[in-house]
Amino acid sequence: MNDLKPHVRAVLAVGLALFVLDVSPLVLIGQEAGALGRQTLGRPYWHVFAAYAVAWVLVFGWVISMARRLRRVEERLGKE
Amino acid sequence: MNLGRIQRGVVGLGALGIATIVVLNWMVFFWVPTESFQGVIQRIFYIHVPAWWITFLAFGIVALCGAVYLWLGDERADMAAVAAAEGGMVYCTIGLLTGPLWARVAWGAWWTWEPRLTLALLLWFIYLGYFLVRRSTANPEQGKRLVGIIGILDIPLIHVSVSWLRSLHPEAVVMRPDGPNLDSSMLWTLMVGLLAYTFIFFALFLARYAVERLERELMLRDATPAHGVNVS
Repeated sequence: MNDLKPHVRAVLAVGLALFVLDVSPLVLIGQEAGALGRQTLGRPYWHVFAAYAVAWVLVFGWVISMARRLRRVEERLGKE
Repeated sequence: MNLGRIQRGVVGLGALGIATIVVLNWMVFFWVPTESFQGVIQRIFYIHVPAWWITFLAFGIVALCGAVYLWLGDERADMAAVAAAEGGMVYCTIGLLTGPLWARVAWGAWWTWEPRLTLALLLWFIYLGYFLVRRSTANPEQGKRLVGIIGILDIPLIHVSVSWLRSLHPEAVVMRPDGPNLDSSMLWTLMVGLLAYTFIFFALFLARYAVERLERELMLRDATPAHGVNVS
């Protein structure tokens, strides 16, 4: 399991990139024209932003908690 | 399953999950049309529904593994139940937080005590209780696994609550007897979302299972008086 740590770091890096992509205001530029398509500001936009941000924060929180538990186990194994 | 195979599984499923998440993000923000009635806020659908799908899947695994543990006493089933329950709690929390963000714009209220929302919150508390009961003593007895099995009874109630009871929450648009009631592009985006979050869930589930297994092996070694010493 010692090899897992670089993988965890890689997953975190890619995830952070996805998070930035997800919550970037630029993503809504790609929507088609029209009154609703041009809707990029205001309460609906910020709620979509918050929903995707919350999801990623919670998933990464879980990943980080697992990585910390794994590090503790590895430290214990390293001492013995 | 040995740790090497688990690690390969984590990396493989994680890579698949990240690849499908990239495709999903492109579909959600660049490809799928904006819903004509609700506007941009409807895009929460593509994270809200997969979050609940994973929640039900995860708590289904908890109940199944809990039952297997009670029947056969296999520790691996209990470790899988703990890993699935933790993932289920994460996705259940996502579902409970994204719903009000959508509801505030669509309904004009963050929360209403209507049947589906109340039962969903109850599910979260049941599994919170699952962890509290498990951690309440150093030696969890079999009865504590029953909490996980009892929790599964709430899931069918959540599903049928919108059709059986008066509810503000919209009825199911995919799992209907007469087929999905959704534009094909929205249905495709939803399906990719379900696939992406399922891959991510199983990658993290396997990783959590491996960590749980290592922790229990260490606990077992600590409990053995002369571990590491060859007594013959």
